[in-house]
Amino acid sequence: MRTKLLVLIGLLLTAAPAWAHHAFAAEFDQSRPLKLKGTVVKWEVTNPHSWIHMDVKGDDGKVVTWMIEGGSPNNLYRLGFTKDSLPPGSEIMVEGYQAKDLSTRAVGKSVTFADGRKLFLGLQARESDPETKK
Amino acid sequence: MATLGVIAVAVLLAPASAAGQDLSAAAKTTTTHKAWIPPRTADGQPDLQGVWTNNTVTPLERPKELAGKEFYAEAELQALAKKERERLTKIEDEGQPPANHSGVEGAPADDVHYDFSQFGLDRGQSKLAWNRRTSIIVGPDGKIPPLTPEARARLAEIRAKAKGHEFDGPENLTLGARCLARPNVAPLLPTAYNSNLQIVQGRGYVAIETEEIHDVRIIPTDGRPHIPKTIHQWYGDSVGHWEGNTLVIDTTNFTDLSPFRGAQNLHMIERLTRADEDTILYQFTVEDPGMWTKPWSGELPIVKIQGQLYEYACHEANYALADTLRGARVTEEQAAKKSAK
Repeated sequence: MRTKLLVLIGLLLTAAPAWAHHAFAAEFDQSRPLKLKGTVVKWEVTNPHSWIHMDVKGDDGKVVTWMIEGGSPNNLYRLGFTKDSLPPGSEIMVEGYQAKDLSTRAVGKSVTFADGRKLFLGLQARESDPETKK
Repeated sequence: MATLGVIAVAVLLAPASAAGQDLSAAAKTTTTHKAWIPPRTADGQPDLQGVWTNNTVTPLERPKELAGKEFYAEAELQALAKKERERLTKIEDEGQPPANHSGVEGAPADDVHYDFSQFGLDRGQSKLAWNRRTSIIVGPDGKIPPLTPEARARLAEIRAKAKGHEFDGPENLTLGARCLARPNVAPLLPTAYNSNLQIVQGRGYVAIETEEIHDVRIIPTDGRPHIPKTIHQWYGDSVGHWEGNTLVIDTTNFTDLSPFRGAQNLHMIERLTRADEDTILYQFTVEDPGMWTKPWSGELPIVKIQGQLYEYACHEANYALADTLRGARVTEEQAAKKSAK
């Protein structure tokens, strides 16, 4: 009964926006915005979230590996993106928020290439209908 | 059971004529529409097979400002589509605005997340199933009927008990955050992204797989009864039959942990009718006398998309769950230290 109640509690707590897999604010800290510049080590193309691993050189010259949470990969695949589209060594810039557990994990609010191009945009045309059906 | 059937039929009869109008409006692109004959499977059943989407901008409940207006005029629908395209173009150019729901200009974002459009997750970046309805829920109200007093009390008690314990342990998190179940499978409702599904038919069976989150409903159409009442499943037990070109699915035996709005004795009837090569009309009625004061119904088109469903394995990389719980422990520790000082 206790378990049942807990499960029900869980499903009723719809604090997370309808479009999110989870409540981001529970995982990431709004008071810890950050800007990271570094090179991609690997990209985990996984659900429910993809994770970019990147090496970031600190002011002291020490390299720290960060993990950046991003969107589910299914639609990126539909729009033409593949695992090879973000090869290790790519230079990227991430603006986001650090995890509440203070680890080197963050949510990547925006991810751009070093030249300012947005990482995942402009790959292919959108799938959506240009016109509504008449 | 017979009573339930009668109620559902009565509920569905009303929207049926409106549905007819709406669908013909939605399907008028093909001039040969009238001559179109639905395809059949090898064993002679209407063929619903394919990869489809119910991705839509139509909200489940009708927005206040559209009260009393069940359908958009064609020009209004075009204007809505234009607005959607402009919204997406702006987001692609400028980035997603922060989720500041306070309404106060300049207030800090009250949620932190990645830019959805960057990951192709904005609904406008996928194919949309357009239709003229102003809400998925049909009828003059376009709203979920009021909860019964018992349901209101039950849900309020659950909320009160949960308050302050949202992140105590994994059991406290949402079914979605735990990769267990999503509320878009039964009934088939659009989800935030990946609103895709595949229908496969075999002799005496129809299977519906939803991409989010990788669940398959297997629906026998051979006339068998429901499983015993003592057995309960996340998405219930579905049995189907054909009425002309329409697949009618009756679903009972949900768990009282049902992912659908906390209903405890959900009974659902769904109707899937192939309207043209690229469209299925989807209609559903749900009832739970202990939950809502009356049954309610919705309808929306499901349209064909290219390609396949992609796997949505969710548990394997669900780092967010552990991160969230660790984050809660760190926050508690910090709060304890602060109050000790």
